[in-house]
Amino acid sequence: MSQKKKGQWSRLDRLTETLVDDILASSDAELLAEAAVETDDGATLARRAFERASRTVAVRRIRRDKNTPAGRRLAPADIRALDPKTARGWLDAYLASNPETAGQLRRAARRDNKLSDEDVYGMLEVLQQRGVLTAKPIEQGRR
Amino acid sequence: MQPRHSGTSLLTQVEVKRSISALTSADWLRLHKVARALCRNAGFQADDLLQEAFQRALDGTRQCTRTLDIIPFLAGVMRSIASDWRKARKRRPEMSLVTATGGVQALVLQVRDNSCVADEVLVSNEEAARLQRAIFALFADDAVAQRLLEGIMDGLAGAQLRSLTGLSQTEFASKRRLIRRRIDKAYPRDWTP
Repeated sequence: MSQKKKGQWSRLDRLTETLVDDILASSDAELLAEAAVETDDGATLARRAFERASRTVAVRRIRRDKNTPAGRRLAPADIRALDPKTARGWLDAYLASNPETAGQLRRAARRDNKLSDEDVYGMLEVLQQRGVLTAKPIEQGRR
Repeated sequence: MQPRHSGTSLLTQVEVKRSISALTSADWLRLHKVARALCRNAGFQADDLLQEAFQRALDGTRQCTRTLDIIPFLAGVMRSIASDWRKARKRRPEMSLVTATGGVQALVLQVRDNSCVADEVLVSNEEAARLQRAIFALFADDAVAQRLLEGIMDGLAGAQLRSLTGLSQTEFASKRRLIRRRIDKAYPRDWTP
């Protein structure tokens, strides 16, 4: 692609960025007023797109779970759905098998070395996001 | 607008879904307008872009920090996807892999004939220039808006852009809005009037 062509389209890309910034900066009242004048059904279309996306993600999860042997399902997406005792048990199990990480995590926790429930949930979420949380039976420990 | 916790720096997938579900009509509208703006020069549909952004947010492919509101987060996801899709569209016609018999050994590489590339560049370049002229023509009655447009396209921003037009912050915001609304009206879906 020549520099000239790139430049011509880049000028339009910069305009698009500015238009997006303006949409994000507009007040709710302004946007709703514009939509009323232009009979813009964007809100409905966006909601439908979200519903379709939710269904797609749910179907993918079901398929993934079906392909995972019972008893080896991954920890639920929402760690906070676990009761505090089970959550603490999961963290202890992780720390027991990863002693080098245990020291770092505990230092990051409260000074009195007692982890609050919030600390436990937070650490489990971080471990889950890093993909290092050991798979657990999904039925275990749910509220 | 959305739940905030002090525990971790990222919203969980459940929190993301809850935040999106709780959006107001104005927020939904805002997201759709952003999607339409990003699709204008891209050759794909706003609804598809939005759905893909929602999916990536819901399945955790893209993660939202707790310090960011969900709307700017989703707008950022859409920007990123739109950029990827545009690049993919540009690459696709140039090279494709065809499996004649389905076997790896049978892969046939089709490379575009480069002799026509110069012509295509010329046509594309002229198309972009024509489009810019058409956009400027929308503001034939407004020299300030044209100066502002020129500055925006040249990559100026903030105080530099305002000083080009001599507008105050409020006047600048108002003029930028006028530009957006006139372009939205002239080009509601793509850059075809």
